[in-house]
Amino acid sequence: MKNIHFDNLQETLYNEKLDNGLDVYILPKRGFSKTFVTFTTKYGSIDRTFIPRGKTEEVTVPDGIAHFLEHKMFEKEDGDVFQKFSVHGASANAFTSFTRTAYLFSATDKLYDNTEILLDFVQEPYFTEKTVDKEKGIIAQEITMYDDQPDWRLYFGTIENLFHEHPVKIDIAGTVASIQDITADYLYECYETFYHPSNMVLFVVGAVDPEEMMAFIKKNQDAKTFDDPAEIVRSFPTEKDTAAITERKLAMDVSKPKLNIGMKCTNTDIDGEEMLIQELSAGLVLDILFGRSSEFYTETYNDGLIDESFSYDFTMENGFGFAMIGSDTDQPEQLEKAIRTTVKNTVETWPITDLELNRMRKKKIGQFMRSLNSPEFIANQFTRYTFNNMNLFDVVPTLEKLTLENLKDAFQTFSDESGYTVYSIVPADKAE
Amino acid sequence: MFKKVELQEGVTLYIRKSEQFKTVNFSVKWKTALDEKKSAPRAVLANILEESNGRYRSQTEFRNALDELYGTVLYTDAGKRGETHIVSLSAECVNDEYLSEGGVLEEVLSLIKTVIFDPNVVDGQFDETVVNREKRSVKERIRSLYDDKTRYAQKRMLELLRPDSAASAPSYGTEEGVDALTSADLFAAYESMLNEDEIDIYVVGDIDEDEMTEKIRSLLTFNSRKVHERQTATQQTATQEMEVRHVREKQDMKQGKLHLGFTTPVTFRHPDYAKMQMTNGVFGGFAHSKLFINVREKESMAYYASSSYSSHYGLLYVMAGIDAELEEKAVKLISEQLTALQQGEITDLEMEQTKALLANGIKSAFDSARGQIEVFDQYKELDENFTADTIIAGWESVTKEDVKNMASEIKLEIVYLLSGKEAN
Repeated sequence: MKNIHFDNLQETLYNEKLDNGLDVYILPKRGFSKTFVTFTTKYGSIDRTFIPRGKTEEVTVPDGIAHFLEHKMFEKEDGDVFQKFSVHGASANAFTSFTRTAYLFSATDKLYDNTEILLDFVQEPYFTEKTVDKEKGIIAQEITMYDDQPDWRLYFGTIENLFHEHPVKIDIAGTVASIQDITADYLYECYETFYHPSNMVLFVVGAVDPEEMMAFIKKNQDAKTFDDPAEIVRSFPTEKDTAAITERKLAMDVSKPKLNIGMKCTNTDIDGEEMLIQELSAGLVLDILFGRSSEFYTETYNDGLIDESFSYDFTMENGFGFAMIGSDTDQPEQLEKAIRTTVKNTVETWPITDLELNRMRKKKIGQFMRSLNSPEFIANQFTRYTFNNMNLFDVVPTLEKLTLENLKDAFQTFSDESGYTVYSIVPADKAE
Repeated sequence: MFKKVELQEGVTLYIRKSEQFKTVNFSVKWKTALDEKKSAPRAVLANILEESNGRYRSQTEFRNALDELYGTVLYTDAGKRGETHIVSLSAECVNDEYLSEGGVLEEVLSLIKTVIFDPNVVDGQFDETVVNREKRSVKERIRSLYDDKTRYAQKRMLELLRPDSAASAPSYGTEEGVDALTSADLFAAYESMLNEDEIDIYVVGDIDEDEMTEKIRSLLTFNSRKVHERQTATQQTATQEMEVRHVREKQDMKQGKLHLGFTTPVTFRHPDYAKMQMTNGVFGGFAHSKLFINVREKESMAYYASSSYSSHYGLLYVMAGIDAELEEKAVKLISEQLTALQQGEITDLEMEQTKALLANGIKSAFDSARGQIEVFDQYKELDENFTADTIIAGWESVTKEDVKNMASEIKLEIVYLLSGKEAN
């Protein structure tokens, strides 16, 4: 087992890649009474076209299947896995993103019992047509719930606008119609392809003894047999740099219009250090241009163009990326204009100086330190970084060496107006 | 867990040294009796204090200063608990030992002092422009609740169930209340908060307790004040078997939001408090609870179906997102789960699971500084020397018979459905 000590953070991270290919990380946290464990596969909603394990022909599976599979993993022949976690005082959960499916629990007691339940339930699939059909009702209600959430519709509508072909534009849960096509056979096919240990990361953080825990995990894994690791062949359509749709409106029963501008990132075929630099730099640019201390924020807040709901964000994974800026607003046209003017001005004159860079760098370093108090943040983010060949603990040293040139390069990846879209939600009575 | 230091009569410091966190957390809480007229000015005031002050006159200057202090977080909020209205000022900064330069903690303390004692006031008035802008912000926050259908349905159900009471009183006031505020009202509210409210100050982090206590004592120079005991709302319970009210409201939406309101005579200060928490857990608090198993897993009717116990008001809520046409079936299923509890259909497994998860919840809450502050601030009203273990022991001693008895005290009063479809 390797260990890496981060002196400045006073943290030690333990790591070992097991014989079956599973990557295990353990981070003990002093003073904590809970332990948080995540077991994550590099398989999300965008992985819809691939060559199934042991086959040669590419398949395209129904939309929403990764998320459906996540739900179905909790049901076994002898009942529901939540029940087992509950007996041992663990609070369990799971989530599916564009690129990952994570299973997790947090517990203050019976750490090994709970870890064993986690490892075993994720590694023992059990699907029948009957249980698959039953789940359709539950997931249909989940989808319907999101349909009534204006902020989710705004977020997803913007992504749908930005992308022509890339499956990131498909809702993670699929649609009520698409999930009807899901069968137990499909679930097994996806499971066999993506849930091999070599495509997964186990992260343990909190009140844990690293040596003992690693030995426990190894013993559990050694007792199981797995096929040899095989390369996963995923296929993605070619995506243009432009936005697919430049503007769209949706009428909903809301109290105030909502506006969101999406900006497509054009440099997405990257990973590792290059990705880390780009995403940190893009985040800093947005902080400088749109953060609470920015000229933009002061003016638009004073003028009532934005309110407390204002937010901005930069998202990227290998293959896709976008920035988003939005707010509830009574004056969507003026807000759109203000955002566009700020971006355009930045393209033309590049007003960002070292002064702002240094201030925002400090802010980001502080933010990162603060998030290290959260086992949830560490486990989830570390896994995401690992899947993109980055290391979460490189964040501070990388922030420290970023230059204005890095910021400029990152900004250029989403500064072309042909990659912009505007999505708005308007109160039903004001819709055209 | 926290060391208690009375700084002045009515002003108390609770301090805790912990090596667990990389940051130092501060929280100052102003508490007063909940009163609809007080909520609006205090909510707007909270915004104004967060926005600027005598040292940093604009939001840009103030936020720049915080950014320079390694992204120190500083925010205010208005909330309520039982019959108490609480304005809080929270700050969190990175502990100096993790930074290449020192002095951050010192500067943050000085900023907290500035925010509280040196507001952005000229000639005894808050700036009119700032006041109007923050009034607008708070009004928009109140209005935006409409967009979150689950929260909106819960608010409507409470208004119908307990009109004109603390349980349904908004902690930010009403739009009309905010509209009517003048600069003078706000300054009066500020002075009363500063001089009359009960004040609790919290500090958690890897700090020297004595040194920090002296710093707080010299920086936060509040006067002494008399504090009046505020009790949990006395629960109005039906003496007779009451008719359950059914209310249906419509909006343009897809899912039916089913919210049930139950009453119970057991509140936070009641000796049976722990028993009622257990009962709620077996009923619908967790993924092993009767509601989750029967409404979601067996019938596939809902993605969420859960209950929560609002102990300060002696209320228990059930909420579920369902197809509106299935309202009757869902209400029947939910009622059957309560009946099962009332008839003692409770397994050892359900008891064991609920105890284990309640214990996990409280211990996990103490793994964040904010959790330590919030849980302590609430539980100290019962017993200042409580620990996670004493709370857990309270649950451990609850029996199936207790849960059965508690369930028999729970009465359904209202069924509220917010939906877009015609339901019959």
